[in-house]
Amino acid sequence: MRTITITPREEFRISVEAENISSDKFASLNIEQIKSLAVWQGNRQKALSDLFAIEGDDAPATAEEITIRLLGDFSSVKRIAEGMTAGLVEVQGSVGMHAGNNMKGGLLSITGDADDWLAREMRGGKVVVMGDAGNYVGSGYRGEKCGMRGGEIEIKGSAGAYVGEHLCGGSISIGGNAGDFPGAANQGGTIFIGGSTYLPGAEMSKGAITVKGEAKVLPSFQKMEIVQIDGVDFQKYAGDLVDNGKGELLVGVGSS
Amino acid sequence: MIIKGGIVYDPANGIYGEEMDLFVDQGRMAEQAKGEEIDARGLLVMPGGVDAHSHIAGKKVNTGRIMRPDDSRQGTQSRTSVCRPSTGYTVPNCYAMGYRYARMGYTTAFEAATPILEARHTHEELAEIPIIDKGALTLFGSNWQVMECVRDKDLSKLAAYVAWGLRAARGYGVKIVNPGGGEAWGFGGNVKGINDTVPGFDVTPAEIIRGLAKANEMLHLPHSIHLHFNNLGKPGNYTTAIETLDLLRDIKPSRMRQIVHVTHMQFSAYGGTSWRDFESKAPVIADYFNNHNHATMDMGQLLFGSATTMTADAPLEYGNARLTHNKWSNHDIELEESSGVVPMTYFRKMLVNAVQWAIGLELALLVKDPWKILMTTDSPNGSPFVNYPEVITLLMSKPKRDAEMATLHEQVPKRTTLAGIERELDWTDIAIMTRAAPARILGLQDKGHLGTGADGDVTVYNLRPEEVDASQDHALVKKALANALYTIKGGVVVSKEGQILATPPGRTFWVDAAVPPADADRLMLDLEDKFAKYYSIQLSNYAVQDAYLPHAKAIRAGLPVEPLPEVA
Repeated sequence: MRTITITPREEFRISVEAENISSDKFASLNIEQIKSLAVWQGNRQKALSDLFAIEGDDAPATAEEITIRLLGDFSSVKRIAEGMTAGLVEVQGSVGMHAGNNMKGGLLSITGDADDWLAREMRGGKVVVMGDAGNYVGSGYRGEKCGMRGGEIEIKGSAGAYVGEHLCGGSISIGGNAGDFPGAANQGGTIFIGGSTYLPGAEMSKGAITVKGEAKVLPSFQKMEIVQIDGVDFQKYAGDLVDNGKGELLVGVGSS
Repeated sequence: MIIKGGIVYDPANGIYGEEMDLFVDQGRMAEQAKGEEIDARGLLVMPGGVDAHSHIAGKKVNTGRIMRPDDSRQGTQSRTSVCRPSTGYTVPNCYAMGYRYARMGYTTAFEAATPILEARHTHEELAEIPIIDKGALTLFGSNWQVMECVRDKDLSKLAAYVAWGLRAARGYGVKIVNPGGGEAWGFGGNVKGINDTVPGFDVTPAEIIRGLAKANEMLHLPHSIHLHFNNLGKPGNYTTAIETLDLLRDIKPSRMRQIVHVTHMQFSAYGGTSWRDFESKAPVIADYFNNHNHATMDMGQLLFGSATTMTADAPLEYGNARLTHNKWSNHDIELEESSGVVPMTYFRKMLVNAVQWAIGLELALLVKDPWKILMTTDSPNGSPFVNYPEVITLLMSKPKRDAEMATLHEQVPKRTTLAGIERELDWTDIAIMTRAAPARILGLQDKGHLGTGADGDVTVYNLRPEEVDASQDHALVKKALANALYTIKGGVVVSKEGQILATPPGRTFWVDAAVPPADADRLMLDLEDKFAKYYSIQLSNYAVQDAYLPHAKAIRAGLPVEPLPEVA
């Protein structure tokens, strides 16, 4: 196991683009080379070590063998673990936008909160957030027809709007509430929401969405039977019928 | 400039792979010149590429960009000291259009379809496309004035309108897309064949096509009519193609060229009665072209992967949108056309797409005379133009085709004849299909060849045609074609090994055709009435002003001042 620890040198007032913080990028590099990797802060290109203190094992190792520990506030640092295929990125704090973009494998774990676009267009691997997440968790970026295609996202807290927009596969679980329109245009993924939400599954054609708490359901969903899961009653709906959809929506009984 | 020792392919001048020096003086090919020396010893040298049909500018392309931010983020490149930033793959930004053509060794490209009403937008974009020379074809096929003239059998007024329309749009030639269908689509319908009546006009597509073809020849336009058939993209449509071609056999050309250029033939060479029994009728179409001399075509090759379909054939786009559940843009262009845009992905394992892929190649390989068929992808409808090297290598290499076939749906060899075609095109064929023929078909006298006085557009590829076997080393060939060693435009090296070195502005060609004043006067009465009653803008604001064409090159046509050479 090779462990590398990264700590911000200051509180960033201008956000940082750090797609180079990923186990794949670090794999073949020694510490000195890692320190000189490029990051952008605003319109200035800098070396990773200009903005962060970096220490850890010097010898290169494969991506699977790497653990990257991020200690401190990374909430203005974007694109952490972008495109990662293996290994572990462990954040003791919060992360900025686009963390885990396009991830294909490995584990990204965040003890704090995640900002918007967490794990968008993810292909595989796992993302765990102990706090809350912003909008567009696991969704497709602007104009994209397919968001997340595989892997797993687990948010212990709440999430913003458009969770799993254009979801094509994989699973997302939100412990708390989710904002408006979770699973919009879902084409085959599964979403579980522990709390409440508003208008889930708009334009969904396939896949499943389960809401344990309350949810306002679109009128274009057809009411089906009551089903029981682990002793809890759920109202089942089929839709979204505006798109001739064959998706399944379950909402905890007691909600409208 | 002297380009030394290249193996030159200049089929228009009967040069088929001869070692020779070329001279460029003041932007034109010359007998002698001094200055910069380019070492092309043993390398493949051709005239600058000419694309006669590509969607590079205007409202459809821009709608594609707006609809597809997902496409914009493909292929982004930062600015350099010479280049502005590039974005996009199927619908690149204006700058990328110029850079990408130049890198492949192309120096000329023609926008395929512009309604007069939206021509100003087209020219705004064309003016921003660097390096390449360009022009825009103007849509006439569902135009009210055209259909009224055809209905009234008033050919001289029709010719006057075509001339006026080209002038108003600063357009280069007559484009006809699914004639009559654009009007019918205004009522949610379409025309189902060339003898179907267009609602409200009492004319048929057949009459529109013949009328415009005759007007085109009356005006001696440099290009023939440029036709997108009715029923395009539908199984069994090859009969419509043959019927339409037969309509035009008796019309006499006014210049040494075809009577009709059929565009993206691949989309109109379909057999079968539905997508279930869909099959290739490319051999029938190719036979027709082999036995007749009044028509030329371009391939409209389809390649697997991302594309953006865009056409004035609005009912077709409605079908595409329904079929794919994809985003759809639908547009009505007042008295002139309708249009649509739908993003598309073509799949190897989808039988229909795989057969379409094979049809384009069949056409190019079965038509014996390369002067009759141009290499295009109807960019970005079949695939974006950056993939031309892929198409060229497929045409040059049977092993490459076989390797591709092995990855396709297993029914392809049964539904097409491609597997049995042994022909491999050589560099002469390719030079004709990508240079000499498009220039001749468009009527661009100074393009597509390297004779004295021609434009100084020369491409040097990092390939030794005398050593490389394009059939076996197709990967090498593809790489060399993607980034020319030198692209020279008007005597300036604009691109070297894929690096853009200079970005001179290209010219925009348009055709200024003269007509008898009496016909123009009769026409104006009609137009004043239409603008007063129907158009959303004033007649005085309609025409594109010269300010929109900062580097215009007008080509005179119309009633001949001196007798034209007799046509064989």
